[in-house]
Amino acid sequence: MRLAGAELIESREILPGQWLQTFRAPELVAGARAGQFVHVRTGDYSGLVLRRPFSFNTIDPVAGTLTIHFRTIGRGTEWFTRLRPGDRVDMLGPLGRPFEVDPRTRHILLVAGGLGIAGVRSLADEAIRDGRQVTLLFGASGATDVYPSSLLPDEVEYVVATDDGSVGHHGFVTELVADYEAWADQAFACGPLPMLRALAGLAASRRRRLGVASLGRKRGAGRPIPAGSTQARRRAFLQVSMEQNMGCAVGACLGCVVMSTAGSPQRVCREGPVFASDEIDWEGGW
Amino acid sequence: MKAKRRVVTSGGAPTRRRPTVRTIKPAILPATRRVAPLAPTAPPAAHSGNGHSGPATAERGTVGAGPTLPEREIDLSVELGRGLRLANPILVASGTFGYGVEYGDVVDVQRLGAICCKGTTLRPRVGNPTPRVTETPGGMLNSIGLQNPGVDAVIAKYAATWSRWRVPVIVNVAGESIADFTEVARRLDGQPGIAGIELNISCPNVGKGGIQFAIDAEAAGAVTAAVRRATDLPLLVKLSPNVADVRPIARAIADAGADALTAINTLSGIAVGPGRTRPLLGNIYGGLSGPAIKPVALRIVYEVSQVVDIPVVAIGGVTELADVLDYLAVGAVAVQVGTAIFADPTLPARLVDELGAECRRRGLDGYESLIGTALPNRAGPPSAKGVEYRP
Repeated sequence: MRLAGAELIESREILPGQWLQTFRAPELVAGARAGQFVHVRTGDYSGLVLRRPFSFNTIDPVAGTLTIHFRTIGRGTEWFTRLRPGDRVDMLGPLGRPFEVDPRTRHILLVAGGLGIAGVRSLADEAIRDGRQVTLLFGASGATDVYPSSLLPDEVEYVVATDDGSVGHHGFVTELVADYEAWADQAFACGPLPMLRALAGLAASRRRRLGVASLGRKRGAGRPIPAGSTQARRRAFLQVSMEQNMGCAVGACLGCVVMSTAGSPQRVCREGPVFASDEIDWEGGW
Repeated sequence: MKAKRRVVTSGGAPTRRRPTVRTIKPAILPATRRVAPLAPTAPPAAHSGNGHSGPATAERGTVGAGPTLPEREIDLSVELGRGLRLANPILVASGTFGYGVEYGDVVDVQRLGAICCKGTTLRPRVGNPTPRVTETPGGMLNSIGLQNPGVDAVIAKYAATWSRWRVPVIVNVAGESIADFTEVARRLDGQPGIAGIELNISCPNVGKGGIQFAIDAEAAGAVTAAVRRATDLPLLVKLSPNVADVRPIARAIADAGADALTAINTLSGIAVGPGRTRPLLGNIYGGLSGPAIKPVALRIVYEVSQVVDIPVVAIGGVTELADVLDYLAVGAVAVQVGTAIFADPTLPARLVDELGAECRRRGLDGYESLIGTALPNRAGPPSAKGVEYRP
């Protein structure tokens, strides 16, 4: 975790109300991994008292740049759209724990709902760099919200579902999962809570339905692996990137928790934002 | 974009000698004390970029202090009672700094005056449902609901680390009953690494306990007295702003043996959720903090510091040195920084530097004379009765 200045290089509206901004911040990019995030301060005179968390949308360690992708939903995000190239912002990061891909995984399924694309986008780059095959299932409400395929690496198989049927599959993105869950070795998802909950249900019944073994069955069989450990997450079929209103983003304020199946609140900023799907109590818990 | 930094004029040449009284007992300071007039400081040397130093040299010459005068040693230390001595009056507020370890290398905790840790209860608490935080104009609402692992786990996990720190750690203690408070205090008593207790009798976000002790003078006095009997640790009590008149409550707490008061906790509020079908926060009610509450906190510190003789630690919307000076002016001896840490974790340490620089600029050895300057004049210490409550 470092606190550093980041210079805006490029800012553009890629979809109506959705922005992609590129920042140069070599100190933050060094060692950053897909699934982690930055906590960005708004200006001193903005009247906004909280930083804004953004997933690393893409990470370029060579150029020392990162991109963030957001929708304008309030004063904070509006403030960011008014930044101009050359402006500097104060970033804290990289924060949180990244996606954990098992070294034996060949086929990666990414599932994104709407802005959730920002949470899994950089994992596509990482996986392709590591020689894995990537399929991205993307769900949106309509054609105007569909992430442009030109912003994805060519190697990614990109399948779209829209609620209104204006592009691709007419229906929820979760309905596409059936075609890929046997092919995939691991799946990674980010999006609205109902989507993640549905995916977690599918992942939980996957072994029974498909009759497949879970990863890592043999090595270390019988040895208990603590839930939430990197090792346990690496073995999970489905990892999800969770979202919560955030205060400090370093684990101090306990604002951004999700309930675990063990009944103890987990901090999205510290134990997450990535969790194995079976770590989370999807029915609420309180 | 950074907060303004004051330029330190190292050759500032103070001319007035002031008695160096180190122990700060602000509430009984003579009210006639006013800010010392600004010492004739030289304009910042950095601004004489054209090579000639102009009138600055001449002025310095007249007071006989060369530009090479070593920087004046400023003593920012403050005593909060029972030997709880802080190196400086900038504390970090409970709930905004975790247990002091979370910010890692980003913040040098040793430079802080003290750390107030997250509210700690007898038994573990999972806290409130989410969402727990939301931003509001000039502030934020939180309803964490005192999530914490319980006092025993806190001691086991952090006390050893704290005992290695130079910075005192004050454990914020919450409870549902007087018995809870006293038991937590008893367990903290004598533990290495724990410098004091801040009684959180004013948390607005929990159903049982919490705020009920802070809205009634008798109950506040009773819980303070009970904890006072249970421990010899320095005892701060945190006041709630969610009352009609805080003065009788403050007096009751002081009379019951508290060493210092913290003012204020958050103001109770709500936000409306997306779609406007229900309140936003999982707990419906949250506590408002941040710059939005500073005027309220100033008013309460102003009122309280006139009716008690114990030190008052101010908290509410501190984001820059001017806020610290404002709180000192209305009678606080120290301030806590809370919500602003989320935006700028390095702020508290910077405020320490800036307060030192401000004292130096004014030609002071310490900040004692900045305390209480905006309080009403009075001939001597406040009467035993203080200001009476008029509804």
